[in-house]
Amino acid sequence: MSLTCDDLDAMLPEFLDGSVTADEATLAAEHLATCEECTAELNELESVTKLYREHGTMHLPDESRKRIAGSLGISE
Amino acid sequence: MTVAETDDVVDRPISRLFNEFADAIYTLGYRIVGDRHLAEDVVQETFIKVIRALPTYRGDGPIGGWIYRIGYREAITVTRRRREDPVDPMTFQVTSVPAATSVEADVLNHELVSRLDDAMSQLSEPVRAAFTLRDIQGLSTAEVATVLDVSESAAKMRLARAREALRVQLKEYL
Ligand SMILES: [Zn+2]
Repeated sequence: MSLTCDDLDAMLPEFLDGSVTADEATLAAEHLATCEECTAELNELESVTKLYREHGTMHLPDESRKRIAGSLGISE
Repeated sequence: MTVAETDDVVDRPISRLFNEFADAIYTLGYRIVGDRHLAEDVVQETFIKVIRALPTYRGDGPIGGWIYRIGYREAITVTRRRREDPVDPMTFQVTSVPAATSVEADVLNHELVSRLDDAMSQLSEPVRAAFTLRDIQGLSTAEVATVLDVSESAAKMRLARAREALRVQLKEYL
């Protein structure tokens, strides 16, 4: 049995999450080895996550941090 | 910081919880509400509730997940209030700060950061929340489902929708 592009597409969330079974992972790898389109899609989805992991975290500005901590009665 | 890493700490002083989770709740608040000042309100309100509820916290589940849950609900409350009572747009112009407070931001990636912000702002709130918790903050899908109070499959569906929409929007950066 081999996967179609639609099969792989349906599996992508689990695949990206690393929550596929070993059998599913093998099937996915087989499909990806022969399908440029799905490989490109997967790479792009991984890049989306990577971009946001690197740039999406916010830092509470120090002044605000002090003000909020003060209002909560927390001495930092 | 994943929720699991903070599993064993039920009786930490509030200052440590604040130090540990203020940025995380600020990030979550900003990603949901879309405004830095309101995101600060989310942090403040969240920790007021944390302080109030800490004595009754039963320790069923990681304390990080509990704080994220409070933060998420607070962000939703602030979003609804903002929708019902829109602020004069001029106020926003005056008070908004460029996206340079992101941890990695500098002059070079300023444009990228605002593109990432724009792309996320196109997503619906539930989808944005799932993506923030999972892909920005690194919670597991199960943890995301718990914070959002939805099934794991619903959380997965939201994540898939977010990633696909962002992939299309950000094609030039991938
Ligand atoms: Zn394919």
